[in-house]
Amino acid sequence: MGKQAVLDAYQGKYTPVVPWVPYVGVHAGYLIGEPADKLLQDADLLAKGVLNAAERYNADGIPLAFDLAIEAMSMGIEAKWFPDNPPTVIDHPLQHKTMAEADLKVPGPKDGRWPLIIEAGKKVKEQLGDRALIGLTCGPLTLASHLRGAKFFTDMVKKPELAAEIMEFAALVTKESARIYAEEIGCDIVALVEPVGSQVRPETYDKFVIPACQPALETIHAADKVSALYICGDATKIVENMMYTGAHAVCVDEQLNMNYIRDCALKYGRGFAGNLKLTLALSLGLVDPREDAIVSLAAGGKIGFTFSPG
Amino acid sequence: MGSDERKQELFGKMKEGVIEYDEDQVVEAANALVDEGFDAYEGIMDGLAAGMEVVGELFDSQEYFVPEVLMCADALYAGLDILRPRVDMTGREAVKGEVVIGVVEGDVHDIGKNLVKMMFEVAGFTVHDLGADVPIDEFVEKQINTNSDIVALSAMMTTTMMGMKKAIVKLKEKNPDVMIMLGGAPVTGEIADMFGADGYSENASNAVSEAIKMVAALRKM
Repeated sequence: MGKQAVLDAYQGKYTPVVPWVPYVGVHAGYLIGEPADKLLQDADLLAKGVLNAAERYNADGIPLAFDLAIEAMSMGIEAKWFPDNPPTVIDHPLQHKTMAEADLKVPGPKDGRWPLIIEAGKKVKEQLGDRALIGLTCGPLTLASHLRGAKFFTDMVKKPELAAEIMEFAALVTKESARIYAEEIGCDIVALVEPVGSQVRPETYDKFVIPACQPALETIHAADKVSALYICGDATKIVENMMYTGAHAVCVDEQLNMNYIRDCALKYGRGFAGNLKLTLALSLGLVDPREDAIVSLAAGGKIGFTFSPG
Repeated sequence: MGSDERKQELFGKMKEGVIEYDEDQVVEAANALVDEGFDAYEGIMDGLAAGMEVVGELFDSQEYFVPEVLMCADALYAGLDILRPRVDMTGREAVKGEVVIGVVEGDVHDIGKNLVKMMFEVAGFTVHDLGADVPIDEFVEKQINTNSDIVALSAMMTTTMMGMKKAIVKLKEKNPDVMIMLGGAPVTGEIADMFGADGYSENASNAVSEAIKMVAALRKM
């Protein structure tokens, strides 16, 4: 196992062996015969699932919970549970209300599901051994879209003042979430996850997302922990912008060209992670996972690279 | 009745208004089109839809992203609200087909589905929108009740995409002739083939051309 290798790679350093971090998500439940909705609402099951997956996949690092509804649900926002997926936010309190009318509060460690996430995190941390534990927060842009719905995407152009107000609040929520993972659970790495980040143009990312990431990144760094940004989709156009947010590492999905990511990361001295094909190789077997891994490893090299699913 | 030159000018303004997501320009041009007695259907096809086609190209080349596309869609709908009630289908080709559309169970991401729905509407299809997080049986039931030519399934997540395969099996079991189109972020043409779909929509713009091909194939049967 190689916790230090993950920490080094995420900080853009050379590692003799490329570390491996599987994002198991609710698959951790599948491996122990538990559905997603049970796994993510039971501290013992979550801890058991994550520890089992880390062992089974011989991981150097592993995320605690890949669940981007924790923050919104801890604010009392309605979400729907599924047996084979993480919960999805279905209510958008700012869709028809102003910030003042909605009266949203930044959720703390005693709100919503945070107590069970903290309990599970502490259990995993105790028993994980020489592996890095990664806490995943809902990124501010994704949270803003949870709060306002799809309208948030047009607000950034049509109503920039409203978008800035919502992002300012989302940034505080992400900051507190990052603090919980870094300080209360003691995660080694805390990542801001933005599945919708690739859906905006670079200028929009610079204007709204980068400033909103700063409070969380400062909190992570003040706790002497390593930071990362996770993104989904074809983020080619904003990858370079992500490199100068201040986060140690940028983690991408299967749609990106690993040579380009590597060159960008080397230019800015950042870590980077990806991009074993989750859909084509791991889910459908259309591509041989072994061959796909060889391609990613060859492209990634040994400076700042962590091998992970995309 | 205005001149052809004037008509083309108004089509151009609507097209440009959609591309530049300028709702006011689209509304002004659409109202002028109606007031001056031009054909509303042509306005939809040669103005609004032509603009959205360019938007699709800008999205593919990553000049436009989701915010811009949504604003273009708002502009298109603003024009559609004015023109659609004035469309006279007399002497025109009848409705091209009927589509049942929805996001598969477990997935509530409907931005892409709504854009595809809009393109179907613009092109004259009758659309039965089931919304998001739709159980397989609802797709089956709606297809049977409406005798729709096409069922269009959308998924945003890899995990929910896997449910499309089951949906296709069930839909084909109940009606082997129904055409099934897949779309959504994780879906590729290869995956659509593997799941047994009849068509794959890479984006909102090509969903309609794909659907027209599918309906034509269906009617030759």
